[in-house]
Amino acid sequence: MNLARKLACVVVVFVCAVSLAANWLAPVGYAKQFREAPGAPPSHEHWLGTDEVGRDRFARVLYGTRISLLLAPAAALVSTLLAALVGGLAGYLGGIWLRLARGFTDLFLSLPWLFLLITVRAVLPLNVSPLTSVLITFLILGLLGWAAAARVLSTSADALRNSDFVLQARASGLHGPRLFLIHVLPNLKPVLYAQFWISIPVFILSEANLGILGLGVAEPLPSWGSLLRELEGLMSFREEPWRLVPLVLLIVVMTSFQMLLSKEEVTA
Amino acid sequence: MPTPDSSPTLLSAQVTVRYPGKAPVLQGISLDIARGEVVGLVGQSGSGKSTLALAILGLLGRQRAIVEGKIVFQGTDLLTLRERELRSLRGRALSLVLQSPLASLNPALEIGTQLREAWRAHSERAATSDDCDRAIQSSLKNVSLPCGGNDRDFLRKRASQLSVGQAQRVLIAMAILHRPALLIADEATSALDVITQSEILELFARLNRETGMSILYISHDLPSVAGICQRIAILHEGEIVESGTVEQIFTAPAHEYTRRLMQALPQLPVQREVLLARAHAVTLD
Amino acid sequence: MNMNKSVRRAFLQLLVCFFLLAAFAFAQNGGELRFCLRSEPKTFDPALVDDDASVAIRYLTGGVLVRANRKTQDLEPELAESWSVSKDSKQITFKLRHGILFSDGSPFSAEDVAFTMQRLMDPALHSSTGDAFRSGSGTVSTKIIAPDQIAITFPAPLAGLEHLFDQVAIMSAHSPKKEGAVLGPFMVAEYKAGSSVLLKRNPNYWKKDAAGRRLPYLDSVRLDIQPNRDVEMLRFKRGELDLINSVDSDYFDRLAASSPQLVHDAGASLDYEFLWFNQVASAPIPEYKRAWFRSVNFRRAISQAVNRDDLSRIVFNGHAQPAVGPVSPANKFWFNSKLKAEAYRPDAALKRLQDDGFHLQNGTLFDKAGNAVEFSIVTNAGSKPRERMAVMIQEDLGKLGIKVNVVTLDFPSLIERISQKFNYEAAMLGFRNVELDPNSQMTIWLSSGDNHAWNPQQKSPETAWEAEIDRLMRAQASTADPKKRKESFDRVQEIAAEQAPLIYLINQNALSAVSNAVAGANPVILNPQTFWNAERLTVNSQARASR
Repeated sequence: MNLARKLACVVVVFVCAVSLAANWLAPVGYAKQFREAPGAPPSHEHWLGTDEVGRDRFARVLYGTRISLLLAPAAALVSTLLAALVGGLAGYLGGIWLRLARGFTDLFLSLPWLFLLITVRAVLPLNVSPLTSVLITFLILGLLGWAAAARVLSTSADALRNSDFVLQARASGLHGPRLFLIHVLPNLKPVLYAQFWISIPVFILSEANLGILGLGVAEPLPSWGSLLRELEGLMSFREEPWRLVPLVLLIVVMTSFQMLLSKEEVTA
Repeated sequence: MPTPDSSPTLLSAQVTVRYPGKAPVLQGISLDIARGEVVGLVGQSGSGKSTLALAILGLLGRQRAIVEGKIVFQGTDLLTLRERELRSLRGRALSLVLQSPLASLNPALEIGTQLREAWRAHSERAATSDDCDRAIQSSLKNVSLPCGGNDRDFLRKRASQLSVGQAQRVLIAMAILHRPALLIADEATSALDVITQSEILELFARLNRETGMSILYISHDLPSVAGICQRIAILHEGEIVESGTVEQIFTAPAHEYTRRLMQALPQLPVQREVLLARAHAVTLD
Repeated sequence: MNMNKSVRRAFLQLLVCFFLLAAFAFAQNGGELRFCLRSEPKTFDPALVDDDASVAIRYLTGGVLVRANRKTQDLEPELAESWSVSKDSKQITFKLRHGILFSDGSPFSAEDVAFTMQRLMDPALHSSTGDAFRSGSGTVSTKIIAPDQIAITFPAPLAGLEHLFDQVAIMSAHSPKKEGAVLGPFMVAEYKAGSSVLLKRNPNYWKKDAAGRRLPYLDSVRLDIQPNRDVEMLRFKRGELDLINSVDSDYFDRLAASSPQLVHDAGASLDYEFLWFNQVASAPIPEYKRAWFRSVNFRRAISQAVNRDDLSRIVFNGHAQPAVGPVSPANKFWFNSKLKAEAYRPDAALKRLQDDGFHLQNGTLFDKAGNAVEFSIVTNAGSKPRERMAVMIQEDLGKLGIKVNVVTLDFPSLIERISQKFNYEAAMLGFRNVELDPNSQMTIWLSSGDNHAWNPQQKSPETAWEAEIDRLMRAQASTADPKKRKESFDRVQEIAAEQAPLIYLINQNALSAVSNAVAGANPVILNPQTFWNAERLTVNSQARASR
């Protein structure tokens, strides 16, 4: 374990621990509005200042980290599993299944998602608690994010289907789901890992964009997505550098994850 | 389930294999293998050797390849069997060892896992993991790989941590787990260096001797075949052009192609005699 | 000698420079004015105009008989030299100017005015501009007295009749170019859907300045369609745009800090932000919630529980005033000065709720039947001030034990919910008021109106107070006496305050930004704040480039 990796490990553990302990660490609730001090710079009371309606940024970052760090990987897991199932299985079965699955993923990728999401919003009730809205949002992301990865996986699985060791396994009498689970899936792991880690930041950002359709994390709950959205249109980073904290945090955490992962992958 | 029969012929194949819209890959092949016999199938690459191996195992992908004729194995025509029945034969009564040992092992899995899976594919319901371990240990012992006691670590290795020779032994161990009646070795020694090659050949010969399993030994390399086979069939452009005992083939090749094969052998003065001697040694052993 | 020579040469050079500059400035003429439309114009047909972008284009291209001066708030003659309204307020007679041509060269006469009015009043056209003229049942008749004189008669008295003609762009009765033939200072030259509208100077525009020079000074106006205000501001700062009609208060302050000469705060505008509850009988909401929303105590309590001072101070950085009602204090004549903005009194609000049987228990408010009080406020996504107001209202009402869920929706979905399906509970929007006269608010106040937001298109008024408003609105519309009209509309404002069908939050100040390159700008509170005098603006593109 080299220094960079140790550092990455420390960062990840620290950020996770701190965000899980948000209830105790946050000086105030994430929704409490200090109306005497909106948009305040960092101070002894508000370490990262306050946002436009006077909410403590530090508390919001803590809680937002917890939401995003918990749910984005969960959504990434859902989408990766779906990709493995659709892409992996199609590639493994080959022939008509592969063509069908490719057609389906292509169709899925070319669908006008904006309109479909508007429809989704239309059928959802308006009165959902912020927490439920977060769960719905990430579930949607997880259910929609698999298609591109499934394409890649179907190609890899197709190659595996024709590999010697799969032939050897079939000649040994293995077949069906067991053959897929034992021999094909483990070899898709690197692709699945990559897909998983790429999805996380993508989902964190998409969540913020879904807010435009009334699907994102609902106020007053913070998330990295909504914290990043506050940067939109910010013209004076130099005057208010502390507002970049969520962005820096996102980059640091993602980089740390990648660093931890790439090593694991090599030994795998 | 094919009913066991006791006729001396284990496998008798008369097949034509073609792909839609193309010339046949195998044209009216006729091949018999007796119980306990080691038969060599020799031909250059592209002659259809591997196709025959896969056709016997029913792994050609029936929707694309058209297999005509019959392949009678232990009294049952394999071509009339359903996939489920074929599956129960594969790895149990019929097994296969492929050319490139390292590519034939799953890089993502431990050796032990792969052996266990192969065993489990045909194990009985009541079988315990002890049964499995025992079968694997005995198989490994048969192929002279480390087994039991302190050598359990071997099973935790992955393909990338093995030598080519070790990998091929693992594959053979996997192939003989269920004591098959017929083992098909498809260019099983071609990828190996000369010393390893002779070791593996020795292993095949020993397995044949000790367990009485028949072996269909497919190769492009006539000398290596000669070392362990009792009979040789020469495959050329999808047809068996000649077949006979090793002696017949070496001393009186009848077909033009066989003669060409013989001429292509290195012409060292003693070569032929040595080969013949080896052939006798094996057959008379 | 030597020195003398060089001085002379320098002088000559200077002279040449001067002439070159002069020639350049002359050739340049009025230049091109550039600004953004925040949405796609829905139509170029002046009779069908309903959206902000189309209103802006109509203002720049349409010729009108009379124009309300956006600065003085007085009515001024335009295509009509003069006009007179009959005593009974049913008829208006216009005397038209002579020798005026449409942009395509076809002559302008009383026939065109008649054609425009007939078309506008055609019920099949569904013109919202035409709706303003509908005071009673019956048809509108036009009578061409002479080629330059026309009388328009309405079936019922129509108060403030002449003011309505500010919105009526005259179309040609004969021109094959239809709405392409215009009488305004500019005409549409090019329209790229989703991207831009280019207006060119109308060469036939009739107006001249004091020096006898034909207006407008500008050669063209480029309107880029840009819904994103951040991008708009960025482009303004880069000098790619010349003006922004309304600037968010955030930007305003930031811009004011760096370049105070570019920003203008004209004070409270006519625009307001407001919140309302769905009172539609057939709306797909739970019955008990409909009962809350239909209770005046509930609505007034919500109104009292919202801290308007905080909204204007925090969300708008002080560039807004707590709203009183449908009429902004900036509207000097029509504002009912007896009314005050609802004060922030959470205790009074709770008292009202208790009067209605609500009770607070463990920090949650319950109604008589034991339902926890929770509702959603829908608003459009993309408007930061509105999102922030929603969050603050959420917090304010939270203190009363009311759980508010804020849902931002894309605009089309929001409109569908609030005007067709009625599947919403509370909504928050802004109202861009273009006119001073209460007649323009007819469709809001009449219970049968389309814009009667809380319960539109009622067959007959469902409540006594709505019936009373209907009566008062019709009464003020059918008399010519300004004093009587004012009395009626004052009463409407009072009922609106008592019943709070719309909860008025704030009046935004008219904040605008105008580039140094624009000469002649004089931002006002009335729409269009910065380009109301577009025909007299000039743009010095050199000043723009040097910024």
